[in-house]
Amino acid sequence: MPNIERRDFLKLVGAGSVGVGAGFYLRESIKHPMEHLIPHVVAPEDFSTGIDTWYNTVCSMCAAGCGISVRTREGRVKKIEGNPSHPVSQGRLCALGQAGPQVLYNPDRLTGPLMQTGERGSGAFAQITWDEGLSKVADRLDLLRAAERGNRVCLLSQGVRGHLAQLFERFVDQLGSERLLHYDFDHPHTLYAANQRFFGEQRLPYYDLKNTRYLLSFGADYLGSWISPVHHSLGFGHSRQGRPDVRGRFVQIEPRMSLSGAAADEWIAARPGTEGLLALAVAHHILSKGYYQGADRADWIAVLAGYTTTEVAAQTGVPAETIVRLADAFAQTQPSLAIGGGSAGNHSNGVDTLVAVNALNYLVGNLGKAGGLVFNPEPAGPTTHPHQASYRTMLEFVEDARRGNIEVLIVNGTNPVFTLPSAAGFAEALAEIPLIVSLSSFLDETTALADVILPSHTYLESWGDDFPEPGVGFPVGAVSQPVASPLYDTRATGDIILGLAQRLDMNDVLPWSSMEDCIKDGWRQIHERGGGDVRTESFESFWRAVLTAGVWGEETHRESTFTLDKSVIAGIGVQAPEFSGASDDYPFILHPYLSTTLHDGRAANLPWLQELPDPMTSVVYGSWVEMNPVTAKGLGLTEGDLVDIESPHGRIRAPVYVYPAIMPDVIAMPIGQGHAEYGRYARNRGVNPIEILSPQMEPQTGSLASSATRVKITATGRRAELVKTGGNSRDLGRNIVQTTGAGQHSANLNSIPITVIPS
Amino acid sequence: MPTETNDLQYADVHRDVIRSIVETGPQYYIALGTAFGVTLLCFFFPWSYQLYYGIGAAGMNHPGVWGTYLASFIFWIGLSHSGTLLSCVLHLTHSTWRKAMYRSAEAMTLFSLMVAATFVMVHVGRPWFIHWALPYPNQMEMWPNFRSPLLFDVMAIGTYITGSSIFIYMGSIPDFAAVRDRTTGWRNNMYALLSMGWRGTDREWHRLHWAYTFLAVLIIPLAVSVHSIVSWDFAMSIVPALHQTIFAPYFVVGAIYSGTAGIVTVMFVLRKYMDFGQYITKVHFDNLGKLLLVLSLIWTYINGIELFTGWFSGASSEHEALRYKLFGYYAPLYWEMIAFCAVAPLLCISSRFRTSFVPMLILSIAINIGMYTERFLIVGTSLSRQYLPDAWGVYVPSLVEISIIVGSLALFVTLFLVFVKIVPSVSMYEVKETMDAPKPEPVASPEGSPA
Amino acid sequence: MSLLDRFTDGWRKYRKPGYYEEFDYHWAMTIDLDKCTGCEACVTACQAENNLPIVGEKAFAEGREMKWIRIERYWEGEYPDVKLRFIPMLCQQCDSAPCETVCPVSATYHNQDGLNTQIYNRCIGTRSCAVYCPYEVRYFNWNDHQWDAPLEQQLNPDVTVREKGVMEKCTFCIQRIRQAKDHAKDDGRRRVRDGEVQPACVQTCPANALVFGDRKDPNSQVSRSMNDPRAYRVLEELNTDPSVVYLKKVDAKG
Ligand SMILES: Nc1nc2c(c(=O)[nH]1)N[C@H]1C(S)=C(S)[C@@H](COP(=O)(O)OP(=O)(O)OC[C@H]3O[C@@H](n4cnc5c(=O)[nH]c(N)nc54)[C@H](O)[C@@H]3O)O[C@H]1N2
Ligand SMILES: Nc1nc2c(c(=O)[nH]1)N[C@H]1C(S)=C(S)[C@@H](COP(=O)(O)OP(=O)(O)OC[C@H]3O[C@@H](n4cnc5c(=O)[nH]c(N)nc54)[C@H](O)[C@@H]3O)O[C@H]1N2
Ligand code: SF4
Ligand code: SF4
Ligand code: SF4
Ligand code: SF4
Ligand code: SF4
Repeated sequence: MPNIERRDFLKLVGAGSVGVGAGFYLRESIKHPMEHLIPHVVAPEDFSTGIDTWYNTVCSMCAAGCGISVRTREGRVKKIEGNPSHPVSQGRLCALGQAGPQVLYNPDRLTGPLMQTGERGSGAFAQITWDEGLSKVADRLDLLRAAERGNRVCLLSQGVRGHLAQLFERFVDQLGSERLLHYDFDHPHTLYAANQRFFGEQRLPYYDLKNTRYLLSFGADYLGSWISPVHHSLGFGHSRQGRPDVRGRFVQIEPRMSLSGAAADEWIAARPGTEGLLALAVAHHILSKGYYQGADRADWIAVLAGYTTTEVAAQTGVPAETIVRLADAFAQTQPSLAIGGGSAGNHSNGVDTLVAVNALNYLVGNLGKAGGLVFNPEPAGPTTHPHQASYRTMLEFVEDARRGNIEVLIVNGTNPVFTLPSAAGFAEALAEIPLIVSLSSFLDETTALADVILPSHTYLESWGDDFPEPGVGFPVGAVSQPVASPLYDTRATGDIILGLAQRLDMNDVLPWSSMEDCIKDGWRQIHERGGGDVRTESFESFWRAVLTAGVWGEETHRESTFTLDKSVIAGIGVQAPEFSGASDDYPFILHPYLSTTLHDGRAANLPWLQELPDPMTSVVYGSWVEMNPVTAKGLGLTEGDLVDIESPHGRIRAPVYVYPAIMPDVIAMPIGQGHAEYGRYARNRGVNPIEILSPQMEPQTGSLASSATRVKITATGRRAELVKTGGNSRDLGRNIVQTTGAGQHSANLNSIPITVIPS
Repeated sequence: MPTETNDLQYADVHRDVIRSIVETGPQYYIALGTAFGVTLLCFFFPWSYQLYYGIGAAGMNHPGVWGTYLASFIFWIGLSHSGTLLSCVLHLTHSTWRKAMYRSAEAMTLFSLMVAATFVMVHVGRPWFIHWALPYPNQMEMWPNFRSPLLFDVMAIGTYITGSSIFIYMGSIPDFAAVRDRTTGWRNNMYALLSMGWRGTDREWHRLHWAYTFLAVLIIPLAVSVHSIVSWDFAMSIVPALHQTIFAPYFVVGAIYSGTAGIVTVMFVLRKYMDFGQYITKVHFDNLGKLLLVLSLIWTYINGIELFTGWFSGASSEHEALRYKLFGYYAPLYWEMIAFCAVAPLLCISSRFRTSFVPMLILSIAINIGMYTERFLIVGTSLSRQYLPDAWGVYVPSLVEISIIVGSLALFVTLFLVFVKIVPSVSMYEVKETMDAPKPEPVASPEGSPA
Repeated sequence: MSLLDRFTDGWRKYRKPGYYEEFDYHWAMTIDLDKCTGCEACVTACQAENNLPIVGEKAFAEGREMKWIRIERYWEGEYPDVKLRFIPMLCQQCDSAPCETVCPVSATYHNQDGLNTQIYNRCIGTRSCAVYCPYEVRYFNWNDHQWDAPLEQQLNPDVTVREKGVMEKCTFCIQRIRQAKDHAKDDGRRRVRDGEVQPACVQTCPANALVFGDRKDPNSQVSRSMNDPRAYRVLEELNTDPSVVYLKKVDAKG
């Protein structure tokens, strides 16, 4: 053994340590970290996830009636998904539907019955018991009924369907009143009227987007807020890329690009209120080109004579060539479908416009056909629309209230103080009503004026049922069941009504002890009638099956034949729209639209939706006014400049958003913000454009022509930065959203080979 | 040899330097008190708030996830160069003019590194787990990620801080001994410990010189590597305008540049307030001025290259980053930086300017403001404009951040003030090396003089 | 093999094609831009599923929103020939993820399912991963978040609530994958069936624009969808090798 000196030994030890250390780090450094990490994102083997309980029920966030499956854990609602068995939602949901848990767990819910102790609107409430609350109301109702003044009671509700609607009817009837009003800002009155006129039925048909190849939409934001967005989106997706070799084409005609306009292959701006003229010009071209060969051809030619493409082009601002192109494509691509609604129906000529749209479907043979417009059979249960109150009805109610003809008003879930223009004088009229009772779950603007608040459960705590309108070509029924035990001292709306009924001895017509009973009874009748998926077993097993599935469908389809009365053809024609306000004083047409995220304002108290960027502008937490870049430049305005928007009926203030896809003489504002009440998330945020709408009506239905208000814009010189996510809205040629030509299935396209490793 | 020192005797050097340690006037206490107070108020207080509230106390956001804390980190790391680095280079090239100033320059390195390290703590979201970035054996069997440039950073800075500490400490041993021999009481004990029994034998001197030179050779590449690696934190990303091969030399040059400017500032202060006028002279300022001029030219050249490569790439993302830097939201800062770091230093062409103390002070401060701006812009502009235009955004520093930046300066000053009372801030023995041989001294120091 | 070869080999091992051969799954998603309507149902679904907080108006204005999936919007053309294009942007689960290499503490790494996972309790909050991610889909917890009572009752018990100072991002709903694997094991199956696991965004998408699944199974929906001629990947030129594949929007002009 060689002689190793102490020094050399130390050196060797030093070098060795360094070497070992370096080697060790080297070894560690080449290891995949997963060999070391057992993070809780992937829980350890012995950690088992909890067990979910799922309940099927119905979404009540809008009128579409999607079926939902609610995931619960230990009695708490965790997540809402679409119910895959429900034909309307097919396992899908919109953002509003997703936000359901925040209705249930909203920190601003009313937790028990209250009585106004101060002046109305003072916000001074005292807690009372249910017994006190119910008795107070029942006593008053009893007095009125005894004095034969039952008609002075009004039940004003949001649109409800199913057996709750029936309960309302019977209850009001028993009081001796005819005043059962369902008021919703977004109810498509003109669409119902147009269908009544053209098809002879007060019922919506099924729009078969799924199978269509060509869709002409006149103002209907079918993907965002119109009738049944989830179902339409499903249809849209399928039509676009769900079938081999066929890709549906979508055309959107509207003055301001909506979500559906953005999704469309072509967006066409027609002057507000001229959509019907455009439809008739398309019809004119269809006839003149001989696409329509029906027996009543001559009648059509006669009635459409005045709507040549050139004339209409001048009125609508849409070039004649475009109209011709649309008409050719619409007639030649089969099946095609024309739908109309939204802003197109909210003009003085709304019904005529939508009748003209129906005529298009008739002329190219889209009626009763897959991919076209399919007629729905009778719904399986009660629906709402017979009682749907138009703007005119609400004005009559206001007049009655002013005259002192309304002594008790029971409000349920609707918020007219917010959703009626201030010109209607609704809030003032309430002052003349001696007793106002609200059944709302939240302290909204209308509820804040109530004397007695008997707060309802949210939809996730109550029994109910629903018969979606429109159906999906066949009738659908769904049962809504409580998925969580009530959070607070609230009661289901039906149970509150039944509670009053019991106190008023209405047991013979309203014999149920609870809403659950009532629903079950109703479904017993459906079971007895037979039909549907579940038909053989006892009621109990049928009931269990319906509760488990959450939905029940009756595979009955209507006959598709349809004959058009000559008188209907003779009545076809669209007048120029009327606007309120002189165009000199009020140069812009106000286009208010339902917010995709907040709907008509009902979702403004849900923080998820307040913080959900508006799909088109990415703005959150506020209001804005959209204008064309040219208009903005002309007025010297840029994004964030605060402007006053003034109509003959009021003035509001909002920051400018320069919107590339809106007509230069139109300005648009989302509806949904501007709440004075309605909880911490909604209060004092943005403005409500409904407030300044002119009381212009569509004369046949008396519905509000909400797109017919003229306004002027004045700069305030102040600014309010919009809160939004979007940075730069142009992609600067970076090809982030890549596109391909229409013939994408052809072979000359570069495809990316993606290696799939066989297992 | 600097003529001003010619009439100085060895004993004068000892007297002057030791006086600066032992004799403490009220001025010093006021300065220290102020610096420490500002550190507490502007640095530790807002930082505590940030620890409690979260990084949200700063103005950072999405996509501006990095901000002034990281900019400050680079700035202080940068400032640390030229201290030790310059000292090493000058030591190896036998530049005698270095001798009077290198000690404080090296101290600057050390304290800048310390401040930089605190900025790492201020920057991260959970500083209480910062030790996870260190490779130490642990029962979790978890190692840091050796592929991460941030980890290279930890290693490089760790090594640099160790190397610089040893370097400055080693160089101070004879001076500690000198102070030990001229003090009593607790000071004597402290310096006895610090001087590690230095007796001034030949063998000791020989070893000191050998080790000192060895370390100097070692530290030069280390210093270059440190700022190269810091630059890789950015350059190894694929962020437009950050993903550039020029970044390593760019950062190193920038670091030496700001460090040199920092030395000028410190020299001025020492000269003025510690009565070192006879040691820190026009010669130093003249030489540092020349150095600044050369560095500014290189820096300007690299800046031009950076713009050119961005333009030459032909990529929309690089072009936008370029456009944004020159004309975007932060553009005024960019032009301020150009004015301070590319244009103003051209004054150093004039030797009269170089030898004027106050103008040089102003220039050195301007350069460091410009260099801070540079670091801020590297972070700020690049993150604001990345690949997806929809995700663009702007980041504006918050009050907390600004306060912490100011406080960090005070922290640096505090550390420096403590330093000058402990370590002889002018290297006595090396200054003496530059002086003429001693004339016979009537009064000898009691325990024998070092060297 | 020389030491250097072994070293580089180990270093690159899991980035090479074929790395996933030895494992059971390689999760992937396709997003059909021709179907996506920009409705943002996916955004809310993710928020609900993954305990994403509400940051409030002020923080939102400061650019501190928390959305693991966001819809980017790009306008094209000028009025009247103007189009708005939407593109959902979420973590692309890059097989060659730049965010992973930079994390000093390995708080984000690739697991054997091909997922870019984020380990909250390991993260020290350097935010470098967010800088390195070219898709800007990493979101940082600038502060602790609040759920106004009783909103916290909705929180998903299978998902961590993140504290201040940590980074987070889309996980492909890893908790659901885990649950599906558990179910498969309980049923005595070795593998999860195609379609058995759906992330929240995929599950809710009303236009059916999102498809999720295992790309190792050549017959899975997602494999077939990835082989669509319209398939492309965003910022492909950066070589991040994403597991999210987009299908081009069809631009049927005229
Ligand atoms: N899954 C699960 N994990 C848990 C808990 C749970 O409920 N479920 N509970 C948690 C709680 S509250 C606790 S306190 C911990 C307990 O965790 P541990 O401390 O691990 O408890 P045990 O497993 O009970 O005991 C530990 C060991 O001590 C041995 N032992 C018994 N008596 C003696 C003795 O006199 N001397 C010595 N040297 N050893 C002895 C036992 O044989 C056993 O192997 O677990 C925690 N972890
Ligand atoms: N046989 C046996 N006995 C033991 C031991 C043992 O090893 N063996 N270990 C002993 C030890 S070390 C311990 S610590 C004790 C533990 O004994 P305990 O404290 O009784 O612990 P657990 O039984 O695990 O849980 C108590 C209850 O708390 C409920 N709970 C869970 N979360 C919450 C919450 O958030 N709020 C409320 N209010 N309740 C909640 C659970 O559902 C459960 O019903 O047992 C002791 N006894
Ligand atoms: S469309 Fe949306 S809000 Fe309306 S019912 Fe369906 S899920 Fe609910
Ligand atoms: S839910 Fe589907 S359609 Fe809607 S934005 Fe998300 S990906 Fe697009
Ligand atoms: S998208 Fe970003 S966060 Fe996701 S894996 Fe890729 S680099 Fe990482
Ligand atoms: S923020 Fe967290 S995950 Fe990201 S790099 Fe830093 S430590 Fe890693
Ligand atoms: S996959 Fe899961 S975590 Fe990722 S965006 Fe979708 S819902 Fe969110």
